[in-house]
Amino acid sequence: MTAGPLILVAAGGTLAGVLSGRFSPRIWLASTVAGVSAALAASVWVLAGGAVWDWHSAFRVGGEPLHLRLDAISSLFMALLSVVGGAGAVYSLEYWPDSAHPRSARGGRAWWSVLVMSVGGVLLSCNGLHFLIAWELLTISSYFLITRDRQRSEVRAAGWLYLGASHAGTLSLFAYFTALAVSTGGWELGPIHGHPELAPLFWLALLGFGVKAGLFPLHIWLPSAHANAPSHVSAIMSGVTIKVGIYGLVRFTGWMPVPQGAGWVVAVLGVSSAVLGVAFALAQHDLKRLLAYHSVENIGIILIGLGFALVAAEHGNAAWGLLALAGGLMHVWNHGLFKSLLFLGAGSVLHATGTREMSRLGGLWRAMPWTAGLFALGAAAISGLPPLNGFVSEWLVFLGLFDAVNVPGNVSLASVPALVLLGMTGALALACFAKVCGVVFLGRARSAAAGHAHESGRLMLGPMIALASCCVAVGLAPAVFFLAVSRAAAEWNPAWATVGGPLSIATIGYANLSVVVVGAVAVSYLWRRAGGTGLRRGLTWDCGYAAPTARMQYTGGSFAGIINEWFAWIIRPTRHENMPEGPFPVRAGFDEHSPETVLEHVVEPVGRMVIKASSLARRLQHGRLQAYLLYIVAGLAGLAALVLLGGGR
Amino acid sequence: MIIALESAVRLAVWLLLAPLLPGVINKVKAWVAGRRGPPVLQLYFDLARLWRKSVVMSTLASPGFVAGPAIAWVALAGAAMLMPLGPAGGAISFKGDVLLLVYLLALARFCTAWAALETGSAFGGMGAAREVSFAVLSEVALITAVLALSVQTGNITLSEMLSLSVGSGAMLLAAGLFGVLLAENCRVPFDDPNTHLELTMVHEAMVLDHSGPPFAVILHGASIKLLLFAVLLSQVVLPVGKLSPLAGTATLAGAVLAVTVCVGLVESLTARMAFRRVPLILTASFLLCLFALLLALKGGA
Repeated sequence: MTAGPLILVAAGGTLAGVLSGRFSPRIWLASTVAGVSAALAASVWVLAGGAVWDWHSAFRVGGEPLHLRLDAISSLFMALLSVVGGAGAVYSLEYWPDSAHPRSARGGRAWWSVLVMSVGGVLLSCNGLHFLIAWELLTISSYFLITRDRQRSEVRAAGWLYLGASHAGTLSLFAYFTALAVSTGGWELGPIHGHPELAPLFWLALLGFGVKAGLFPLHIWLPSAHANAPSHVSAIMSGVTIKVGIYGLVRFTGWMPVPQGAGWVVAVLGVSSAVLGVAFALAQHDLKRLLAYHSVENIGIILIGLGFALVAAEHGNAAWGLLALAGGLMHVWNHGLFKSLLFLGAGSVLHATGTREMSRLGGLWRAMPWTAGLFALGAAAISGLPPLNGFVSEWLVFLGLFDAVNVPGNVSLASVPALVLLGMTGALALACFAKVCGVVFLGRARSAAAGHAHESGRLMLGPMIALASCCVAVGLAPAVFFLAVSRAAAEWNPAWATVGGPLSIATIGYANLSVVVVGAVAVSYLWRRAGGTGLRRGLTWDCGYAAPTARMQYTGGSFAGIINEWFAWIIRPTRHENMPEGPFPVRAGFDEHSPETVLEHVVEPVGRMVIKASSLARRLQHGRLQAYLLYIVAGLAGLAALVLLGGGR
Repeated sequence: MIIALESAVRLAVWLLLAPLLPGVINKVKAWVAGRRGPPVLQLYFDLARLWRKSVVMSTLASPGFVAGPAIAWVALAGAAMLMPLGPAGGAISFKGDVLLLVYLLALARFCTAWAALETGSAFGGMGAAREVSFAVLSEVALITAVLALSVQTGNITLSEMLSLSVGSGAMLLAAGLFGVLLAENCRVPFDDPNTHLELTMVHEAMVLDHSGPPFAVILHGASIKLLLFAVLLSQVVLPVGKLSPLAGTATLAGAVLAVTVCVGLVESLTARMAFRRVPLILTASFLLCLFALLLALKGGA
């Protein structure tokens, strides 16, 4: 048996989804769920050690024969696509229904299926041309999904920025695949050995895939796109489509020769994405924008793993290279799971209150206990806390880096800062999610909208529960998932197939399990004890104020204030202060806004300069014939001068 | 069977001895100030009293207000079980257990901060914000210290890392970790557990609204954490694991007592630092650990 029939069912189901999305939500849901289930089964089959599915067809698309391949690396991403694609589809029926969005819901369903299909196409194609076609389809379908709500100007602006940035990346990929096709003589992709002259092409791939993945200086499109898209779209974009950029990097660093020192560049980009991503996240006031910056952070953690794996491959250190790569790849899964969960949770909050501004939320746990609990679980997972999945993958990356430090030589010195900053990232992420959970779900409602919130229905909670269960499962049985991930690592570097994994990964599973069991016992015991001694409810003490108003609560901005000050050099917040004056101050105010530094302080000034230069050049073309004749005469005179003075050869 | 019994005894030792440390610190402070001070066993009495008291919960608080302290306590007790005790080693020991320990401490921090934010009190917010912000720096220092130990011994298993500990950088490391101990356990000069001004507190500001058994669990957890750091610090300086069981246990106990007395002395002789300067001292702790790490790297090459 091979995965072939399952892939056929998956393709059929997704295609049926594309066609039925506009007409019938039920048929669309059924076919999408059937399609992603088949895709999940196929990827599990390959990851569990089944045969790699490799399909050559005589059928030609764009003049090239179709060649599809599902190996361990593509299965890893395919499994994530299936889980998030299915969960988001179920969620969207309640979150973005026809009744509330009669115009955009139908198209949204169809584009969702197109997105799932194009990601599947990118993961399966073994032909550069088909890869680019699927890639472009992915970009366009994401654009239409982001701009579902395009009456609002900020949504249009976010979509436009996404489209522009993505195409800048795609341009680089065009150059990459074309150069590859020219030097290998065909569009067919696969492992290439003995062509060291192809190594410099890696930089083109890094640029192209880096824009999609949203690594630090290339992430400019990501915060606004993720914040303004409908939440299920944010979930799949953050959970899956940015991972496609990682897929490209993993895939082509495995198949192609890599220039010397590439691993270090990837690791440095990873470290800067991780630290700065979380630093920017802390400064945000918009719930979904904050989550979007955490994607930058987690992509950084993944890239630290990949970067050190590249370094290990260059230096021939299989043991810790495998750990770093396995950690990075497992973090692809984990981030996909908990970030989708968090975006769906943020969607529930937005659905119930109509605002993403954290300073208008608060006390939501009472109205939305399920959402609050599930969001808290996702928050603990993304902060890398045991017993959940984020801890397992960060632990693996840490272990790889620790082993790298203990290898004598330059690698050792260079991995020290990576380790220290990775530890810092974890603590910062914890600070950030303590802030989010506290400000959004705990305390008292800061606005009327938050006070009238309601819990989401089954179709929205169900997918969140499913994603949360996946997070717990990876935390409790890491050895099983490690086995699957190490198959992908062996596919990346076949020489690493025989390296044994760390035996202590199973112990981590047992430790996590005991934290869960003992924690549950302790919580129930303490809860009973607290109830048994006579539990009374009273007002929050708060220094004796008997009637506290909601505005007295600590805000998200003040919570993150200490850390924001440390990173003010790059966040560059703008403050508007209106200090209280006189003995009876009439009005006072303070507000702080954190811009997207790279976009507003780098890309926009450069863009303005380019536009200025172009408009200067444009003055040359004004439609006056006499001037054009003058240009010709001047040009001829110049050429003549060149010929006469240059020796006239 | 033997393993279960051994773990039970180990857990009992941790849980029963931990509340002794704050008592010792208070006794030292009283002694320096020329007072008689509360009895050394005062925290035991307090815990017993709190455990019998009824709970007043804020009208705003969710069940997380009680669950948070419980999970934090479990995480701290779990971290304690990972910490080797001189010749007895750790309850379980595996490659990378030190990272589990660091992250269990983080779990405890997350749960405490969560419980602090439950009441909507601005003090809870202030305390939690300070706790998680300063923890960023102390975690960085802690990771650096772990790295230094790992480089010294070529290992990342706690019992191995702590067995060979007298390296050239041991004193630097000890000084750095002492700073981390003071910050993580909210002692002077980072925080004053006895202050009565909520605006200047860290840990106490977080637990202002707690009462009864959950508060007892919080206090007990905090004492476990203090003992944990004292044991870690002692074993970084002294190769306790290499001594005979009796001598090792005696040395470890003596060293933990010495660390505790030092905490009491620091508390008696210095004042609490202004908040703006806290990051500076923590950075100094980090730099001390970093120099120890550089020494270890140099020695290894």
